[in-house]
Amino acid sequence: MGVVSASSLLTSLLISSLISPGSAFLQDWDHAALSAPLEPHFTECISRDLATFRCWWSPGIFQNLTSPESIRVYYLKMKIPNSEWKECPDYNHDKRECFFDANHTSVWITYCLQLRSQNITYYNQDDCFTVENIVRPDPPVALNWTLLNISPSGLSYDVMVNWESPPSADVGTGWMRLVYEIQYREQNSSNWETLEMQPHTQHSIFGLQIGKEYEVHVRCRMQAFTKFGEFSDSIFIQVTEIPTKEMSFPLMLVLVLGIVGIVILIMFILVTQQNRLMMILLPPVPAPKIKGIDPELLKKGKLEELNFILSGGGMGSLPAHAPDFYQDEPWVEFIEVDAEETDTGEKEDNQGSDTQRLLGLSQPVSHHVHTGCSNVLSFPDDDSGRASCFDSDLPDQDALILMATLLPGQPEDREDSGERGQEIGERPIVHTQTAGPQTWVNTDFYAQVSNVMPSGGVVLSPGQQLRIQESTPAEEEMQKKGKESEGSEEAEEKKQKELQFQLLVVDPEGSGYTTESNARQMSTPPTSPITGEGYQTIPPQPMETKPAATADDHQSPYILPDSPQSPFFVPVADYTVVQEVNNQHSLLLNPPPHQSPSPCHPQHPLKSLPAMPVGYITPDLLGNLSP
Amino acid sequence: MPGNITSVPAVWLWSVCLLFCIRLTSVGAAPICTNAQAGCHVLSLANLFDRVIQHSARMHGISNDLHNEFEQFFLPSKNQIGRISRNCHTSSILTPNGKENAQRMAREELTEVILKLLVAWRDPLWHFHQSMSHHHDFNNFSSSKALEISDMVHELRKGVEKVAEKMQNLGMIGNFVNNLASPETFLTSDSAEWRLMRNYDLLYCFRRDSNKVQNYLKILKCRIVPEHGC
Repeated sequence: MGVVSASSLLTSLLISSLISPGSAFLQDWDHAALSAPLEPHFTECISRDLATFRCWWSPGIFQNLTSPESIRVYYLKMKIPNSEWKECPDYNHDKRECFFDANHTSVWITYCLQLRSQNITYYNQDDCFTVENIVRPDPPVALNWTLLNISPSGLSYDVMVNWESPPSADVGTGWMRLVYEIQYREQNSSNWETLEMQPHTQHSIFGLQIGKEYEVHVRCRMQAFTKFGEFSDSIFIQVTEIPTKEMSFPLMLVLVLGIVGIVILIMFILVTQQNRLMMILLPPVPAPKIKGIDPELLKKGKLEELNFILSGGGMGSLPAHAPDFYQDEPWVEFIEVDAEETDTGEKEDNQGSDTQRLLGLSQPVSHHVHTGCSNVLSFPDDDSGRASCFDSDLPDQDALILMATLLPGQPEDREDSGERGQEIGERPIVHTQTAGPQTWVNTDFYAQVSNVMPSGGVVLSPGQQLRIQESTPAEEEMQKKGKESEGSEEAEEKKQKELQFQLLVVDPEGSGYTTESNARQMSTPPTSPITGEGYQTIPPQPMETKPAATADDHQSPYILPDSPQSPFFVPVADYTVVQEVNNQHSLLLNPPPHQSPSPCHPQHPLKSLPAMPVGYITPDLLGNLSP
Repeated sequence: MPGNITSVPAVWLWSVCLLFCIRLTSVGAAPICTNAQAGCHVLSLANLFDRVIQHSARMHGISNDLHNEFEQFFLPSKNQIGRISRNCHTSSILTPNGKENAQRMAREELTEVILKLLVAWRDPLWHFHQSMSHHHDFNNFSSSKALEISDMVHELRKGVEKVAEKMQNLGMIGNFVNNLASPETFLTSDSAEWRLMRNYDLLYCFRRDSNKVQNYLKILKCRIVPEHGC
């Protein structure tokens, strides 16, 4: 007996000397599970409402040795003056629980617990705690959810989950402030989605999918503390598809029918009004028209026939129209298609011929010259970019602005289609007159080509001559348009009358152009060939039979034709056939044979270009001229 | 007249000065408006309470964070004896230790307790912040929190004083011993005790006391102005 008691005493002493770490239930539950000491120890102390708390203990392996009631719980409240160990106020041996009611619970005071069994005291200092630190609130209750909205696509929806605070927690008086954490997951998923903590008793969940079932639960803890309570009971959320399409079905049907009806109506309108629509959308393009000439010929590729006609093959038709030509209509209308609109109005408004204005003759329109931009520049400026009045390039003597645009500064512009061959009149070439006594008085700056001789000469419109009233010799400048025509035979005659046509010196700096007013003051003798242009200036020769014209004082590029008194029959070639282009890119003209007195002509090596068509140089032929 | 010319800017200058003076004097007036003063935004007592409670909640949260950080860095040994006998320097202040006790306590006493607690922590926290800034083993996060804590205690004390003043004006509480003038008076001989405490213990004690303050304020508010939030 003594030995047994001694051994038991020894054992108990040995055990008592061992102060094992204990359960340390202040830590998380996980740690408690890991360390399971052998001796009786406290497993947990929990407060639900910060007013009471419970503690549970475990007897350890000595369960068999002692009866459950033999273990006693003692606690200590750490008060400064005196602290003494007291026994648990409320035992529950079945659960091995000690309950501290509100009278025995003091917050913010350190409690320490002991287990005493017989004479052994099991005490762990880590088991001391304060009540506020062991609070684990009860789970929230009364969870329910409401549908917030469904996405327009009908695939997802939002819900609002709300609950109530645990009844045991005195939130009303503010004694406990709880924060809630909500978790949800799909029905068969194992991962919980956690939403952020917040102190309100409701929370919205976004982005749930229609047709799937979701499980939601909530837990809470004290604000600024770490221990969570348990999760509440889960609720299940599921929203099935709402057949809303039926509502909009008739609407869709109406919409579709309406659209189909409108489409049919539009088609009907299109079909019935086809012609008018075509007129509006695709207006007919005016075909090129030259009176007396079939427009078919003006199409590409039929130049030979056109040449034939113009050169006299179709003369039978042309003269019939010739008297009608340009009586009151601007001749440009027929020659230059694109100048139709602009020139028509302009020319008709002109008081007199452009030439007159240019030469500053007694035409009262001398004042127009300077403002010649407005009225002179009616012809299309398609040859140069300088459509506006461009005096800057001109010399001090005001050059004709009109001429300015015709500067051969853009020789490439001269290469026009065959129809340009008819545009001779546009060029500021005053055709010296053809047959018959004519005065150049009222010769237009552009004279109408009434006829083209088979030899290539150009016949001016006789009608135009009738309008000549003054002795305004006009000189034209040959534009390097790439198309030169031979001087007409009549023109040659005129040239013999010392009307020399000059190749235009298209020298911007030179006195290529003069205004009408300055035509008289023109003094620059264009004797020297101005380089760069390829033109040779034929100095105006003093006309033998021509009295000094008003503008004859000056060596002007324009050879002023003789005065009205003198008939001038110098056949001046209106156009000269370009025979060749020398290596300096000068056009070597073939002056009419009657123009031999011109000193400038020796500079023209006469060569014949057998390949040259009579009359005009077409663009494709011009290419042959290139050296 | 030269006199007239010089008098105009002088007059203008005087008027500007006068304007400034008036503004300064108006600024120097008491910031708290009485009920009779017009044009003043008067805060209701409930509003004041809410602000103060929010402030105390935040203060408690920060103290909790600081304490946890300390626990990570300076895990005290398990079997520290001193842990049981950890004695905060504010233990001498009698505080209600339960909800019923707090509810049973008179309003004036409760207010007084709150103020005592806040006053008692002013110096220790300041010194704590000083010691924190000298220790470079802490990160800046902790150091800034320490500074924030000491500021918050100071501001919270002022806020509670204002609440008490308003309550007194409204007649909700009677006169209570206002020890604010001399905070040193009710610091007993334990006043120097906090200097001996380690930082960790300081934080532990402060966390506890800030929780007390928060709870007391909430109870006080729900007793006096039991409107929303109670």
